[in-house]
Amino acid sequence: MKKLGAGLIAVVVALTLAAAALAGTTTYAGPQQWSQNQGAGSSFSSGWKYNYFFKNGSGYDATVTFIDNVSYSWHATVRNTSSTTYTYWFVSNVKRGYCRANSAYFWGSCAVVN
Amino acid sequence: MIEVKMNSRRRAIVVSISAVATAILASSVIAGQFRGSDPEAFHAGLATGEIARVADIAAGDGLSSRGVFVQATDTGQLCLWDARSASSLERQGGCNSVDDPLGGSALSASLAFEGGPAVGDVQDARLIGLASREVVAVQVLMSDGTQREVRLRKAMLGSDEYRAFGYRFKKLDLRGGIGPTAVIARSATGDEIARQPTGIGG
Repeated sequence: MKKLGAGLIAVVVALTLAAAALAGTTTYAGPQQWSQNQGAGSSFSSGWKYNYFFKNGSGYDATVTFIDNVSYSWHATVRNTSSTTYTYWFVSNVKRGYCRANSAYFWGSCAVVN
Repeated sequence: MIEVKMNSRRRAIVVSISAVATAILASSVIAGQFRGSDPEAFHAGLATGEIARVADIAAGDGLSSRGVFVQATDTGQLCLWDARSASSLERQGGCNSVDDPLGGSALSASLAFEGGPAVGDVQDARLIGLASREVVAVQVLMSDGTQREVRLRKAMLGSDEYRAFGYRFKKLDLRGGIGPTAVIARSATGDEIARQPTGIGG
């Protein structure tokens, strides 16, 4: 039984690592329920090019943007109520993806891709 | 005594396995709610389908013109985005199910801006959108209480008729700290039939 438990844990850890290693994709928030004005940010990297807010339906107001690590300005920001809100920013600056819920009580996740 | 110990250990293992299984099942259920939310699959989907230019954003204030594009992907997404051209990779917008392009409303608008988040620091701000055919006017309510009229253009998505629009906010407004707060769609009788809150920096 001990061996079975250890084996199961090893499988779960392996699956988690495999999911994290998916080429260039980092889910930095969620899936979770969002409250109004709640935001989340990814790590800083020069590689991020795409930023997505995936929602469990249309009608939920959300924003995605990139924030540079020098002036902390927002870049290529998009705000809408589509089921997926997205932006692409192809510059080599170090930046992080940031997403924000402008409405409440919906499920969603945010991901950056390089 | 030893048997009791063994039983409680077994119970603990069974409970642990059940908890892990429940967590995996719950994750699957949540993941199931996000159909098409895999970024890799989404990327692949955006490389499919035809792209049609449905509206224009005029050049102005030293900024170049842009287009408003609609793309029905092979993965069942109807995406609306603005970019310098159809082939540009720098796209800003959103996607709904192709079965419900307006997301259950008469209006689906998307605000994009560069700079900020303070309105006065924004260098370029654009509003794009699609509306149902009964919409005859789209107005943008600004933070100072004034309104901006948006020009509509007929757009066909398959056999369905829509109204498309693209609008660039004046730099004079932005420098003065005046930004959009809502987009309003009106019918031929002037009635408000849809309203979408928006804004720069939240």
